[in-house]
Amino acid sequence: MTKASLRVAVAILLGFAALPLWLAPVGAQRVSDRAKQIGIKLRCMCGNCSMTAGECSHPGGEFSGPCQAWALPALQQIDGLLTQGKTEQQVMDAFVAQYGTTVYAEPPKSGFSLVAWVMPTAYLVVGALLVIFVISRWLKKNPSEVRAGSAPAKAVSPELLERARKLAAQETEE
Amino acid sequence: MDVFGSFALLLAFVCAAYALVGGIAAILTRHPLLIKSARQAGMATCGLIFLATFCLEYLFFTDNFSIAYVASHSNRDLSSFYKIAALWSGMEGSLLFWSFLLAVYVLSVLITYRNKNGELMPYVGVVMAGVQLFFLTLSNFVESPFKALAAAGPDGVMSFVTRPDGNGLNALLQYPEMVIHPPNLYSGYTGFTIPFAFALGALLARYPGEKWIHLTRKWTMIAWMFQSCGILLGAHWAYAVLGWGGYWGWDPVENASLLPWLTGTAFLHSVMMQEKRGMMKVWNVWLVFTTFLLCIMGTFLTRSGVVSSVHAFAQSNIGPWFVAFMGITLAVCLGAYLKNSDYLKSENHLDSMISRESSFLFNNLLFLVACLAVLSGTLFPVFSEWFTGNRISVGAPYFNIVNIPIGLLILFLTGVGPLLAWRKTSKESLKRNFGWPLLIGVVVSAVAFALGFRAFFSVVCLILCVFVASTILLEFYRGAKVIRARSGASYPACAIDLTMRNTRRYGGYIIHMGMVFVFIGLAGAAFNRDVQKSMRVGDTMQIGTYTLMLQGADSKPEQNYTAQRMLVEALSDNKPVMMLFPEKRRFAGNNQENGTMVAIYSTWKEDLYVVFAGIDPETREPVIHAFLNPLVKWIWFGGVVVVFGTIVALLPNRRSVLVLAPAQQPAAAQPMPHPVTSSVALREGHD
Repeated sequence: MTKASLRVAVAILLGFAALPLWLAPVGAQRVSDRAKQIGIKLRCMCGNCSMTAGECSHPGGEFSGPCQAWALPALQQIDGLLTQGKTEQQVMDAFVAQYGTTVYAEPPKSGFSLVAWVMPTAYLVVGALLVIFVISRWLKKNPSEVRAGSAPAKAVSPELLERARKLAAQETEE
Repeated sequence: MDVFGSFALLLAFVCAAYALVGGIAAILTRHPLLIKSARQAGMATCGLIFLATFCLEYLFFTDNFSIAYVASHSNRDLSSFYKIAALWSGMEGSLLFWSFLLAVYVLSVLITYRNKNGELMPYVGVVMAGVQLFFLTLSNFVESPFKALAAAGPDGVMSFVTRPDGNGLNALLQYPEMVIHPPNLYSGYTGFTIPFAFALGALLARYPGEKWIHLTRKWTMIAWMFQSCGILLGAHWAYAVLGWGGYWGWDPVENASLLPWLTGTAFLHSVMMQEKRGMMKVWNVWLVFTTFLLCIMGTFLTRSGVVSSVHAFAQSNIGPWFVAFMGITLAVCLGAYLKNSDYLKSENHLDSMISRESSFLFNNLLFLVACLAVLSGTLFPVFSEWFTGNRISVGAPYFNIVNIPIGLLILFLTGVGPLLAWRKTSKESLKRNFGWPLLIGVVVSAVAFALGFRAFFSVVCLILCVFVASTILLEFYRGAKVIRARSGASYPACAIDLTMRNTRRYGGYIIHMGMVFVFIGLAGAAFNRDVQKSMRVGDTMQIGTYTLMLQGADSKPEQNYTAQRMLVEALSDNKPVMMLFPEKRRFAGNNQENGTMVAIYSTWKEDLYVVFAGIDPETREPVIHAFLNPLVKWIWFGGVVVVFGTIVALLPNRRSVLVLAPAQQPAAAQPMPHPVTSSVALREGHD
């Protein structure tokens, strides 16, 4: 073996040896499905992704999975707490005590956070009432008109036909 | 070239300022020369923005690392393809790109209507110039893309420097879709400026009723199409690159893109009320205003750091500028409305609760509720911090719970709305239009239940999809049948003929069909599964009906990155299906970032989604994470159908005709050139 080929061989070997460094040695530790389920209710606090701990793939990270910085230790901590016999609520409380309310992936259904849950329903109810009010107000303005469910128009009136023609012409004029 | 670009940008600012001030003066004095000069200043602004954008791209292509923006977002090995995309990968460039796309729209409008609508165009020009001026202010004085790179020397004195190489483009952005996703989304955002300018201009000018709507329909649809495309491309990018198996994470920036899409969609529906019945004028004007403001807010959310997001650009002091602009815009809109609201009175009123008009009202209600729910959820962390001192996060689980029922209601109305008649709908009509679709829906629900589907929302979604698809297909069938009776052509040919006779109506149906496909895909999410395993060569893992076997690994050096690939063979029933190559990439450039490239075997039934996650620290073996995601392909296919439908709806009608069914009771003593039934004449199409 020549000196040059020896150098190449050593370089290749070193290259392969360095491969594990290139692919960072993190992350494939197993966590229970239960921990993942609870982890979905917790936000990954690594600061670089906005995913939940249970679903964290840490985009841009060296390992596509729960990030070493936060999600993975958190899932392992959940597993530890579950092993100690803690309930889901107690696990959540432990994380809130440690990280504050920012750790919630979804707002809790109590206190000020309840507002977040009530608002969409309020929008829908208030909006629906408003629409019904507007429709009924408009309907009252046309008492002579036949309401829905009554007999259909017997025939096309000349006025209606003319209007229909105008609408069709209008539609194609652009 | 950087000085040239800076100067072009500054001149563009001056021209935009003139277009604004000169335009206002022209409106006040009605002087033809002033009107003309303001318009030409508007055109010059656009030309100068094009020039500045070209200069920045030139700096990227020549690897000019003396410019801070180029040094931060490019490197020598970056391919030309991504050097184009580097333009909008950071704050400064993206703001210039905003101006660039807006300039394309503005120039198109100014050229298209240069000899038309003489009363309205000066107002429109002023509004467009105002928006351009805002973005040019930012690009010139707040976040200039042409800033030279400076660094402190050993003596502490700042001096201009040139780096040998740049930091490189963010690894997550080095994916083909990232070259088309942001331009699409930005084209949507900027495109809504045009209907906004027409709406505000028409209100200020007290321009005749529906004219502005006729003028802006195409622009609105184009903007909406780009926004839809941008959202779906973004979802596909997230799916293919982020490696978490999903496509929509309810990230604040994703939400920001959805908000104007929701109000824009509401507007595209309610605008028909104004066109056909002269109703909802105030509502429509405010929907356009809101859509535009939400576009600005989306841009603000991405750039201000108000909400934390994986997509957000670096935090900067740009937030107050956006808040001020939104405040001024809102004040102008409010002022214009208060001054001229009399002019927006409805010409007609509602005739029946069960009518097309009321379905549009409920449709708008649902879109608005969805928009408000997403908006309040996105901003809730900020509100909670204001009121309680604690920042309470709102993530994907919340948005899913809140929006799924609203989405299903919208899907239901998608089937019901178009088949209701204008003014009022008879019982017979309801029976005729909904009998079969309802029956098919019930049969499908029974079959789904018998097959063991128990995920409530997914099953409801699939049933509604079948119902809506049936109503749409039935509409095509009925129309095609009438044409076939006269022409004798085949059903598909008649359906095409039908579509081309009323592109707007049938294009709308195609869009609805596309949305049905999207919903089918979304329904599959409830049945997703995943398995993760450390594997040695020859090892297998099972997911669904697939067996995955690790066949080997290799390293693939490319121009700007080195890919570590896993060779995974997918087998189904012991038969090879496909060789998959999930990758981890290490990118060149100063930042040495990592990226993931997912391998997907996609079928109409499901996606086999394989991620090479990294190396197991204990076993030193590669970790493969496999997902089985049912029906995802339908989402992308639905997106294509939506775009196709929008293009069809934008085409002019082949000829003006009223069709469609043989007369049941011809009008007495009225010669009829075409056979028209009462229901058809009243229903008048989707539009």
